[in-house]
Amino acid sequence: MALVGTRKGLFLVRSDGHPRRWQAQGPLLDGWGVYHATVDRRDGTLYAAANHVIYGPTVQRSEDSGTTWSRSKQIGLPVDSGMTLSAAWHVEPGPPERPEVLYLGAEPGALFTSRDRGETWDVNRGILEHPTRDRWFPGAGGMCCHSIQVDPRDPDCIYVGITAAGVFRSDDGGLTWRPINRNVAADFLADPHAEVGHCPHKVLLHPARPDRLWQQNHFGVYLSDDQGDTWIRVDGNGLPSGFGFPIMLDPNDAEKAFVIPEKSPEYHYSPAGKLAVYETRDSGMSWKAIDAGLPKPAWAAVLREAAASDDESLYFGTQSGSLFVLDDGERWVEAVRHLPPILSVEVTTWSE
Amino acid sequence: MVRIVVPGILAAQAEGRKSFEVEAETVGDALRALPVADLIFNERGDLNGHLNIYLDGTDVRERGGMHCPLAGAAELRVVAMVSGG
Repeated sequence: MALVGTRKGLFLVRSDGHPRRWQAQGPLLDGWGVYHATVDRRDGTLYAAANHVIYGPTVQRSEDSGTTWSRSKQIGLPVDSGMTLSAAWHVEPGPPERPEVLYLGAEPGALFTSRDRGETWDVNRGILEHPTRDRWFPGAGGMCCHSIQVDPRDPDCIYVGITAAGVFRSDDGGLTWRPINRNVAADFLADPHAEVGHCPHKVLLHPARPDRLWQQNHFGVYLSDDQGDTWIRVDGNGLPSGFGFPIMLDPNDAEKAFVIPEKSPEYHYSPAGKLAVYETRDSGMSWKAIDAGLPKPAWAAVLREAAASDDESLYFGTQSGSLFVLDDGERWVEAVRHLPPILSVEVTTWSE
Repeated sequence: MVRIVVPGILAAQAEGRKSFEVEAETVGDALRALPVADLIFNERGDLNGHLNIYLDGTDVRERGGMHCPLAGAAELRVVAMVSGG
C-alpha cells in the first residue's frame, strides 16, 4: 500500500496483488496539505504532517487505518525563540528500543521529539539554538527540516537535513549537532567551502550499511561512507542533471540508488521533457534511465517527499497527480491519476 | 452564552460539530474554549492571519478584537478569508 499525501488530503492507494490494478481511498484529512505521511511499523499508527494555509501546521494520528484521526497537542516554538512554526514537514518514527519516541521535522529549521507516541512534541534546543543558525536561510519551499535518519546501531546517532542549512549529525541523542557538509557544493554561497548554508533536498541512510548516506542536493548527488564526515559527488557519471529532489534506496543493496533529475535549479521539471528515474547499481559510478511506461514527453515535477521504495518496487508521484509504480523492475505503471498535486509518497506492507 | 459557528474544516477537526455554546466574557476567551482553538490561534496566542471573526455580523476588529466583550451577544462566527489555493 502507498500513502500518498497531496495538497488536498491523504490517499491510501492499494493493489489487489495485480501490478496494474490499484485503487485510491480518500481523501482522508480532506482539505489538508499532507506534506508527509507514514506508518509507524512498531505499532501500526498512521502519522501525517498536515498543514493548512488558514489553520496552520499539525501532526495528525490514526490508530484505525485512517478512519478516525486525532491531532497532536499544539506544536509550537518557544516564545523566547522569536519564531513561530510555519509548517510540519516530516514524521520519522524513532528506533525500536524507544517505542514512544518519534521525530518531527518542521519549518523554520526545527526538529521536535515526541516521547509519548505523538501526543506532545518538544522542540530540540540543539537545532533551534544552533550557533550557525544566523547563516541558514529558506529555500523556495521554506526553511524546512525534511530529512531525519537514526542509525539503527545507535539510537543516539541522529541525522537531519535542513534547507538551506545543510546536514547535521548528533552523536549524543540530539543534545548537540555538528554540520557535516564537507565537499558538498553550495554554488550560491560566497564561500564554496562554507560550513553551513547548503541545500540538501533529501538525505537517506542505508539501513544495511549505516555508515553510508546518500544525498540528493540542490547541487548534485552525493554519497558518504563515513557517517557524513565527507561526501563524494556522483552525478557526473551519466545523469542529465545533478538537480532533483527525492532519492530512493534499495534496502537490500547499498550500491543502488535512484534519483529523478530535473532541469537545473531554475526550471524544476524533467530535462528536455524526458521524465525518467535513474538507477545506479555501482555507487554512482554509472547511471541508467528507467523510463519505459512513463509518458513522453513530460515536464514533471517530483517533490522531495514524493518518492519511496521498498523490497519490491519504486514509487513516485507528480505534481500533476499521477502515481507511478515500477512493475518487475523494468516498466512503470500509472497506478492512479488525477489526484491533487502529490506532495509525498510512502509505502508499507500493512496488515489491517 | 454565545453560539460559535465554525467553518467546515474546523468542524471536521471537532468530530463534525459546526456550532458550540460557550459561556465566556470576551471573544478571545470564547474562541480559546473551543476544541479547535489550536487551529484558530498560533503558539503565541495570536489569531491566525486568514481568519475573520464576526460578532452578530460585525467584524470584531472594529470592537476591540479578542478583548471584545460578549455581553448581550448571540452569535460568534468564524469565517475563513478568501485565500488559499
